[in-house]
Amino acid sequence: MRLKEITSKVYEIDILNASNEELMEINDALGLALSLEEMQKLQGFFQSMGRNPTDIEIHAIAQGWSEHCSYKSSKPVLRKYIFGIPSKHALIVMQDDAGVVEFDENYAYVFKIESHNHPSAVEPYGGAATGVGGIIRDILNMGAKPIALVDPLFFGPLEYPYEKLNPGIKHPRYLMQGVIAGIRDYGNRVGIPTVAGITYFHEDFVNNILVNAGCLGIVRKDKIVRSIVDKPGLKFVMVGGRTGRDGIHGVNFASKILTEKSEEEKQAVQLGNPIIKEPLIHAVLEANDAGIIRGMKDLGGGGLGSVIGEMCHAGGVGAEVHLDKVLLKEKDMAPWEIWVSESQERMLLAIEEKDIPKIKEICEKWDIEMSVIGQSVEGGYLDIYWHNERIVHLPLEFVTAGVEYDRPFKIKKTEKMQEIPLEPKNYRNVLLSLLKSPNIGSKEWIIRQYDHEVQGKTVIKPLQGVIGYEAHGDAAVIKPLKNSWKGLALTTVANPQIGKIDPYMGALYTVDEAVRNLVAVGARPHSFSDGLNFGNPEREEIMGEFHESCRGLGEAARFLGIPYVSGNVSFYNEAFGKNIPPTPILMAVGIVEDIRRAITSDLKEEGNPIYIVGETKEEMGGSEYYRLIGAKSTAVPMVNLQNLKDRMEELLEAINRGLILSCHDITHGGLAVSIAEMSIGGNIGAEIDLANIGFTRADFKLFSESPTRWVCEVKRGKEKEFEKIVKGKRIGTVEGETLKIRDGNRWLFNIHVNILRESWRDALRRYFE
Amino acid sequence: MKRMRVAILQIEGTNCEEESYIAFEEMGQDVEYVHLNLLKKRKKSLEDYDLLFIPGGFSAGDYVRAGAIFAARLKAISMGDLKKFVDEGKIVMGVCNGFQVLIELGLLPGVDGISDRPEAALMINDSNRFECRWTYLRKEKNNIFTREVPEVISLPVAHAEGKFLTDNKTLEKIKENEQIIFRYVKPDGSKAVYPWNPNGSIEDIAALTNVYGNVLGIMPHPERAFFPHQHPDWMRKERTHGDGYYIFKSIVEGKIKY
Repeated sequence: MRLKEITSKVYEIDILNASNEELMEINDALGLALSLEEMQKLQGFFQSMGRNPTDIEIHAIAQGWSEHCSYKSSKPVLRKYIFGIPSKHALIVMQDDAGVVEFDENYAYVFKIESHNHPSAVEPYGGAATGVGGIIRDILNMGAKPIALVDPLFFGPLEYPYEKLNPGIKHPRYLMQGVIAGIRDYGNRVGIPTVAGITYFHEDFVNNILVNAGCLGIVRKDKIVRSIVDKPGLKFVMVGGRTGRDGIHGVNFASKILTEKSEEEKQAVQLGNPIIKEPLIHAVLEANDAGIIRGMKDLGGGGLGSVIGEMCHAGGVGAEVHLDKVLLKEKDMAPWEIWVSESQERMLLAIEEKDIPKIKEICEKWDIEMSVIGQSVEGGYLDIYWHNERIVHLPLEFVTAGVEYDRPFKIKKTEKMQEIPLEPKNYRNVLLSLLKSPNIGSKEWIIRQYDHEVQGKTVIKPLQGVIGYEAHGDAAVIKPLKNSWKGLALTTVANPQIGKIDPYMGALYTVDEAVRNLVAVGARPHSFSDGLNFGNPEREEIMGEFHESCRGLGEAARFLGIPYVSGNVSFYNEAFGKNIPPTPILMAVGIVEDIRRAITSDLKEEGNPIYIVGETKEEMGGSEYYRLIGAKSTAVPMVNLQNLKDRMEELLEAINRGLILSCHDITHGGLAVSIAEMSIGGNIGAEIDLANIGFTRADFKLFSESPTRWVCEVKRGKEKEFEKIVKGKRIGTVEGETLKIRDGNRWLFNIHVNILRESWRDALRRYFE
Repeated sequence: MKRMRVAILQIEGTNCEEESYIAFEEMGQDVEYVHLNLLKKRKKSLEDYDLLFIPGGFSAGDYVRAGAIFAARLKAISMGDLKKFVDEGKIVMGVCNGFQVLIELGLLPGVDGISDRPEAALMINDSNRFECRWTYLRKEKNNIFTREVPEVISLPVAHAEGKFLTDNKTLEKIKENEQIIFRYVKPDGSKAVYPWNPNGSIEDIAALTNVYGNVLGIMPHPERAFFPHQHPDWMRKERTHGDGYYIFKSIVEGKIKY
């Protein structure tokens, strides 16, 4: 690589005369993670400019072209399936850093889910913490107050043998503890409740853990801020943390596969500081209340580079930036490092010159540093100065436009087969084993480490039931406004084992489950944010999975009229030749018209009838039961969207009329697990007869994970009214201290609630206490 | 009735101020946020208030010891004013992290008035981790903070460091002075064990006052149980107010005599 220093710490790189080999050498030396074709495109551009670029120019462009920033592999597919689902309520969709949806006449809610997989695999505590920090900023920069966090997590099995770990891969137990501590320490410290999530364990995630984080916020409609600078002369004000070398090339790192050398890329992991973030939230919201923010964007992946480029490009103006004005953690940073640094807790505000004293006053009150680093200008150029010397002069169009690929894809066909194992002799043991398995058992050990009460808005908690005996709920409900009974229900779902067999059906099932969860608390599903986690898109079969997943997600949501308003794609979840199964994660939001009508999953009162809603079928592919007994099946649960829509409307009607006292969806572990959880939370037993469900074998009735099903406890005396509205079958009664289940005349088991609870609570506790 | 002027003290990392603000606002009091920097720059003064409320959170990140940095800064900026505030019989209330701050300041347990050094500590929970859960509390004494409070109430805790510890001599004095205000109990009001006592606090102490009864430290959060629907069991138990409401009501109504 030929280069010459043109001013202090800025080099001109000879790209014009570089051979292909030399181009890739430059790519490696600068850590760009671009392909040869992209390097050639870069070369072509500077040939047309008739000059060589500076190092910072190359970095600026490479960053914009990274998978993470440009969505170059995913965009064509997203456009085809995910974007553009019509909705009356969606206000800002897939444009800024988070989706904005109408809440009521005066308010909107804002939300998004995002991945932080690679950093968390290398540095679980810092990676997860900054994942939370980043998603909070995405909400904040729409002008919204963050009011809830969610965190779906995927790890290898906790008992995975150390000797089987690939070099550089950390043990699932270590990773999980680090990730949870990171989320806990960050979320708790900034004072935003963590109210929902997933913790899922499977061998498929040993090499690549998934750490996604979502945030929900609320904003008055007239206070929504866009990430757009729409006129020249606005000052760029950086507020919050200082800029350092942490997080350099985070986006490029995220667009590579993990290897044993990933450990050396620890510097690509940003370090978060919740105690800067907390006052930053206050200061930004105060400035927004004062009406002085003309545009705002957080500095996340891609740092200053992405932010200034995207904001100005969106508003059709140019930018002039003085990098020597940026406050630094380390004095000797080179301009390119400043430009691409992803240091945390930073926001860029566009402010009128006359309002600079006001923002200064606010920052001083909250002890927050700020500096004015440039301004918007006429024209479409990005000009960067370093001690008054111009070191970048590029058309913004070229920097931000990025690239797009129609990557080749291959859709895998799976032969349908299903083993029929012998019927279990001891149903009691099967149920207790399922309850004790980490994917089904109690996540209390995790949930209680997160403050889910701070802000005092959590009216349906993540753990539901008699105080001290709670079990899992399907969704949490937040009451965002003091003077309104309207609520927001929140849930996260993902089903990688079904998706692995059939990505399309897995996606449908995921939407189905999101709807189930929201409906179970009495919320009408309203909008989705999609966190799409996949393997290496340069492999045709992975792109095939991506196509099929998106097709399923899009079809289901379109049918139901629920838009995707924000989202994130994480590719390259591959290590040592192994790719994760397709894992689209949904963060789903529902509207509860009156939170006083919301319901929980715990059984309430002796004597109430219990119903099952939905059809139970022998479709055991991807089920926890088959995994437990080691039986094979590729017959995954089939979703019928019309059924889903019908049952949803029926249940919402019945809940609204106050006929249902508790409701739980049927998912991992099937009917048996759902009823057990309802009993555990209510600290009360039930007597169930499976005969009404149909003629299949008892183990299928108990453990099938067929979609679109719920268990409902109906108010005694309201059976007729309920049956008139909801297509359900009565299967039992709330009673006693034990869960008694029979299939007609044949008793399957009779287990005391305390024993159910102890098995269920043991799932994670036994590893950590 | 004359309204109380309530200051909710803030520094970076305090984060329960909004719930606290709403509680006093709902009680019809004059409440405002007062950032420590405003005291420091003399833009606000403690003497203009009747009640100082130190909310929960992770002041300054709690990186040294919970509440220690907040307390040190408060001490440096306005310990004189604060002493005067307490000596005049004005009310100081610290919740969760605020309780930790009051201990670091020597305002609590305050068996003989304000101490120069902390005479007790809120140690890391016996479970060795942060826990967010609902607890039951039994009222141990009627005073300005509890007059209107029912015998057993339910409030949430959310902390990693809430285990009250002190030496035997101080503990004896605390008991002799009847400074214990709330104890953790089982739902039926009987002696608590984990998780009903969520942190291992000695004597199941959840809240106490100084010897004069005008400074309260409480680990559970009354401001998060102000409205009925903040309780987890609102579907099982009808309430006109959240249980925490009655603490605020006691303070406001007891205040008439000032």
